Amino acid sequence: MQRSESLVEAEWIESFGWLIRLRWLAGVGVLLITLTIGPVFGLQVAVSPLLVIGTAILFYNLLLFLIERNLKSNLASPETYLRLGLWQVTLDWLAMTLLIHFSGGIESPVIFFFIFHIVIASIFYPPRIAFSFVVLAVVLLSSIALLEYFSFLPHEPTIGFLQNPLYKNPFYVAAILLFFNSTALIVAYLVITISDRLRHREQEVVELTKSLQRVTARLQALNEGARTVNSTLELSQVLNRLVKSTTEVMGVRACSIRLLDKGGRRLLPVATYGLSQAYLEKGPIDLESNRLAREVLGGKIVNVPDVRQTTLLQYPNWAVQEGISSMLSAPLVGKNKTLGILRAYSELKDHFTSDDATFLAAIAAQGSIAIENAMAYQAIEDLDANKSTFVRMVTHELRSPVSVTRSLLRTITAGYAGDVNSQQRDILERASRRIGYLQKLIDDLLDLAAGKMKVINQDSMEPVALDEVVQRVVNRFTVPAQEKRLTLDFHKETGEGNILVKANPEELDRVFNNLISNAVKYTLPGGNVTITLSIAREETQVSVEDTGIGIPEEAMEHLFEEFYRAPNAKEIEREGTGLGLTIVKDTITRFSGRVTVYSKPGKGTCFTVSLPILKKT
Amino acid sequence: MNQKRILLVDDDPDQRLTLRLPLENAGYAISEAASLDEGLQEVKKTRPDLIILDVMMDTMTSGFQFALTIHSTDPKSAYKEFIKTPIIMLTAIHSTTPMRFRPDEDYLPVGEFLEKPVEPEVLLATVRKHLSE
Repeated sequence: MQRSESLVEAEWIESFGWLIRLRWLAGVGVLLITLTIGPVFGLQVAVSPLLVIGTAILFYNLLLFLIERNLKSNLASPETYLRLGLWQVTLDWLAMTLLIHFSGGIESPVIFFFIFHIVIASIFYPPRIAFSFVVLAVVLLSSIALLEYFSFLPHEPTIGFLQNPLYKNPFYVAAILLFFNSTALIVAYLVITISDRLRHREQEVVELTKSLQRVTARLQALNEGARTVNSTLELSQVLNRLVKSTTEVMGVRACSIRLLDKGGRRLLPVATYGLSQAYLEKGPIDLESNRLAREVLGGKIVNVPDVRQTTLLQYPNWAVQEGISSMLSAPLVGKNKTLGILRAYSELKDHFTSDDATFLAAIAAQGSIAIENAMAYQAIEDLDANKSTFVRMVTHELRSPVSVTRSLLRTITAGYAGDVNSQQRDILERASRRIGYLQKLIDDLLDLAAGKMKVINQDSMEPVALDEVVQRVVNRFTVPAQEKRLTLDFHKETGEGNILVKANPEELDRVFNNLISNAVKYTLPGGNVTITLSIAREETQVSVEDTGIGIPEEAMEHLFEEFYRAPNAKEIEREGTGLGLTIVKDTITRFSGRVTVYSKPGKGTCFTVSLPILKKT
Repeated sequence: MNQKRILLVDDDPDQRLTLRLPLENAGYAISEAASLDEGLQEVKKTRPDLIILDVMMDTMTSGFQFALTIHSTDPKSAYKEFIKTPIIMLTAIHSTTPMRFRPDEDYLPVGEFLEKPVEPEVLLATVRKHLSE
């Protein structure tokens, strides 16, 4: 019962101060009664000795008071308090005995005060000590009575209290001693028994509270751990957070995760917390030579209470060298297969309890879900990256011959390879146009694939002056707009200075090129294309508004899909890749921005690109 | 008038043809090379007034290497007499070149970049500009 002491100890400390406070009253009470009992009640007492006793009580109480203050500031141990407590009871007992003697011995009514002293001692001190004190009280009182009876000690009566002195009356003395002593012993027994029982109850409540607190703390930690682990989808991060939070939550030396390799025959360390590099590099765990791993992967939670005394491990010496004495392993089980092992390490032998086993299993169960999710996410990302790389390679291989073919055709139509008749020229120009379209398609596909690859490695982002990019693109369309008799306006509503955004300049150029080129393309002669650059809160917005053919409602939801083209757009321009807006959306999303569109068929369309402002200069 | 010589360095014979036809038509003497090494030999042999270079040949950056060799500022360079010979580089913006580039004196001693496919008119205008005609 190691823990029960703290509770009793706290009582020693508390009661010590409390008794000092009470004793001030007792000392003053003795002095007051001694001084007033004569004048008020006409009784005669041994004034001088009683005053000495009262003063002595106040004096030793002062000493105890000073000692207590000193103890408090030094944060003394409970044992010191207990020792001093015993001293103060002894002093009280002596003062009490003297008080009884000088107020009439066996005739004194003060005798009853001994009862509450006995109660106090029985409550605060261990049963054996309390009983010793009671026996002391019995001995002291009996001694006074007997010594006075046999005249070895002078009788000090309170004159006027009793008509006939009783201290020489054997029946009286015997009766008082018998009843007082038995009362003292019975009271002590009752109080000790009851307080002991109460103390046990109290202890149980404390134990229960503590274990509830432990459970709550673990649940909280589990919950917290789950949240941290699930706050990312990156596999390595999930694994690292899992080992770290497991180590912290379980209060152990270290934790590791080993996952099965593709062949399913070996376990490879993928994340550890609290272990040395050397320990990690001891080598993979072969299932064939490691019974522990086989058992855990079979679904069991295995506790190794002492690594020196087990045949389960493949590298027991390594664990000893690392300072590890016990370990607990739980399987990481996914939806369809076992993933690996979560293991906690302790420097102490026999560290892990069955509670720990249940707890680790709970962590492993949650962790498995997080690990599997991260693995699935990574598989998708890898797939997407592979796909993009593939598309890029293929399109690049396509681009080169297409580009050369176009140039070759161009040398003929431009007349560098001799004369061609008008029909031949017409055919060559048609071929050239188709090749041109093919080239545009390939370029767009390349842009898209390149963008997708950049999601994974965020390179080539830099501060870009958005207004300059927009201005440059607008300038590019001045001539085409004039040729089509369109009014092309650029309103910069952001005042002086540049608006910087975090982006890639060429890709940003491409975005506005696509939007303005669409606006010019799908607006009939005589219409307007208006580009506005503005600031809304933390964002900057570029809107490209036209009075063009508009976008039919049913086309809206497909607008940003790859290869999608609205039916009315196809009427205006037969060839188009349907990738322009996909690139816009893809690029702007990558730059942490948004693209919104508002359109009324037959009236016009407005695309708005919103980007977070990096800086305004 | 002395006929100006232009060297085309490109591993794609079709691409060379598309460059050769308009340039010959405009009266330039054309020589061709299909690789980096061949190009360097040809520089010494034909002593061109201008070089048109594809950015990517057998390796991703061989065009750059070529330009750096020709325009090397090393006083012991075997090509130091060609240090002022203008180089026009043909690029594909959408290519998978690991570098992003723009004409930059410190970085690459290249006169001009032209994006493929090159329009014959643009090609001729650029060539004329660099030959100061």
